[in-house]
Amino acid sequence: MTTSAVSLRSVWKRFGKTEAVRGIDLDVPDGSLTGFIGPNGAGKSTTIRMIMSIIHPDEGSVQVLGANAIAAKDRIGYLPEERGLYRRMRVREFLKFMATLKGLPASGLDARVNAWLERVQLTEAAKKRCQELSKGQQQKIQFVASVIHDPELIILDEPFSGLDPVNARLINRLIRDLHDAGRTIIFSTHVMHQAEQLCDRIILINRGQKILDASMPEIHARFDPRTVQVEPSSHDPAEAGRLGGLPGVERAQWNPERHAAELTIARDFDPQDVMRAAIALMPVRTVELRKTTLDDVFVELVGEDMPSSEESGNG
Amino acid sequence: MADRMHASSTRRILTIAFREFRHTVVTKGFIFGALVMPVVMLMAIAAIGTLVGMQMAPVTGTLMVIDESGTVAAFAAEELAPEQVAKEMQEKLKRNPALKNWGGSDLANQATANLPAVDVKVESVQDATRVDELRAKVQDGSLLGLAIVTPEILSADPKDAEGNDLTYTLIVPKWSAPRLTGMLEKSIAKAIVKARVKRVGTDYTSLQSLLSVPETSVRRMSADGSEAEENAVAKTLLPMGFMALLWIATFTSGNYLLTTTIEEKSSKVMEVLLSAVSPTELLCGKIIGYALVSLVMLGMYGALGIAGLVSAAMGDLVSPGLLLMMLVYFVMAYVFVSTMMASVGSAVNDLREAQSLITPAMLVLTLPMMLWLPISEQPNGWIATIFSFIPPVIPFVMVLRITASSEPIATWQVVLSLVWGFAWVGVFIWAGAKIFRVGVLMQGKPPTPRELLKWIRMA
Repeated sequence: MTTSAVSLRSVWKRFGKTEAVRGIDLDVPDGSLTGFIGPNGAGKSTTIRMIMSIIHPDEGSVQVLGANAIAAKDRIGYLPEERGLYRRMRVREFLKFMATLKGLPASGLDARVNAWLERVQLTEAAKKRCQELSKGQQQKIQFVASVIHDPELIILDEPFSGLDPVNARLINRLIRDLHDAGRTIIFSTHVMHQAEQLCDRIILINRGQKILDASMPEIHARFDPRTVQVEPSSHDPAEAGRLGGLPGVERAQWNPERHAAELTIARDFDPQDVMRAAIALMPVRTVELRKTTLDDVFVELVGEDMPSSEESGNG
Repeated sequence: MADRMHASSTRRILTIAFREFRHTVVTKGFIFGALVMPVVMLMAIAAIGTLVGMQMAPVTGTLMVIDESGTVAAFAAEELAPEQVAKEMQEKLKRNPALKNWGGSDLANQATANLPAVDVKVESVQDATRVDELRAKVQDGSLLGLAIVTPEILSADPKDAEGNDLTYTLIVPKWSAPRLTGMLEKSIAKAIVKARVKRVGTDYTSLQSLLSVPETSVRRMSADGSEAEENAVAKTLLPMGFMALLWIATFTSGNYLLTTTIEEKSSKVMEVLLSAVSPTELLCGKIIGYALVSLVMLGMYGALGIAGLVSAAMGDLVSPGLLLMMLVYFVMAYVFVSTMMASVGSAVNDLREAQSLITPAMLVLTLPMMLWLPISEQPNGWIATIFSFIPPVIPFVMVLRITASSEPIATWQVVLSLVWGFAWVGVFIWAGAKIFRVGVLMQGKPPTPRELLKWIRMA
């Protein structure tokens, strides 16, 4: 039986008149790499802060690693969205300070810091003050600070924001390594392709409520692909109009980058029939049933329901 | 998994306290501002005397006196004799009550040793018509100065028609240093007085003895009838010194606490910290860390002050009991100030916003400074008694009273101030922790005092 690393039951959190989290129930399976996705102001950061016991729910219960959130604090690694370092502190000292706060004994700390600095390719930064590092280097140090105590549960809030592609790839690899080593990882982002690439499970939160909680295969199975992409041999945009007239096509749009028409298929029609009809209608170079992306799922579930910027408050 | 210890709350608090202490005390700013600066200032003050002495050129030349009586010049020459100038300076320093206990004679000897060489010749002319010729000599630098003494000023009643004191004129060259001018001015004035006294046929030395104002030896009698000599200056300044010490120690750390909390919030390191510790642990760690910083300052300046008192043979003014009381009231004062500073620091985004919240509290805390004189004068008066029970000024007022009073403060008042004061310490910690817990995660517009009260109720 799968056990839960994190378990929330009917959790509510209000800030004044704003209901940031509204009766959320969720379970993060032990050893999973779970993506927390949702629009800005959906309640992701508030939920994470309650898991971290930085703030406490008004109602409901939060269980983390089989204990209450406060008791489990030392076994959790947390990289907050709003990151910061002690600017005048030296890197080695800062990492040792964070590790000590998380309960690591003083002996062996130097070796542990050295090993992590090597993993993030910042060995030469150990003696530097944090303010002397570039933004990307600071982010890598913050990542190390969140995992240096070898936590069982790691919560990463937008870990790739502001990183260049090389460093993003490095952090991506480290996250995979930690996951392969059996750590439970909660990864919060609003960049869907990152979540799709990394996560084996997705929890979508919108307006303080959970609206999707499923594994990636379940999501792909549940959200049928409904877009057919047809590339006519002529590459003529006018062909989109002809394709739009096929039975079962709700909308046809020309994609100039791909020189192809994208056909949205009505719910009660089989995309295979539309594909066959398109081939019969005109000479084509490619016909493809596009795979449903997390982006599509997000737009379908959140879509028009996106909160306005005025409503977006506490993450 | 890592070989993890159970990070107890105490361990986390002490880790934070140690970091705060180390990163405040072992910094160039603290070492320079709190340790080196006072020493440099003391050295500078000591060096100024020597530098001034080195700068002073020997006083050599002639002072001309126009005096029909011909008596003033001789007296002026007496006054300007090098040994008389040195004697005057010594007497003046020995009489200074503030320096009396710090080996006034030694200081006087040292000071006079640094005086420039004085070799002033005083000449007299009785012909007042030569004034223009002599003025020209002052202008070309042949004379140190020209004094014009009229016969009227030497009379037994030297007043003009309106009853005002008559004056004499001293003309000095443009380059004459204020110190030299002052010396000539005083010498001639004294010479005029001596000439007057001679004219009425009285002996100046006898008259001076008769007119010398006796020094007072104040002996304060205690309840048991015993007497002890009182050093009025030390007795007045000591309470102020102790209270200033309490102020410096608590407010320096309080300011550090305010600025570092704001910095942690603005640099976003706060949330990283809160992932490892609770807001209350963070607050406790910071308060303990800066308490140690305060103790370093209190110990350092306190030790310097006590060393100064002991060297002035006034060590008996500071008893171990008094120091213990000082320490207890320091703890109380520190918690009052630090909880206020930390909670304000947690609630705002920058120092400018902090000013508007901290100003009312600062006004209350400056009350003991404003009331220093009435409380020192009447340590058991009604003003002192009332303010001894108003938080957060309790510790400052009590330290003033205890050090200013010749008689012990009533035991019930001391006990009550401690019990009442520490009860308020509990309230300040409770309210401060609540504001801190809400404030550290708040962004945006700073709260109003009313909103702070709401935070205390809701947290």
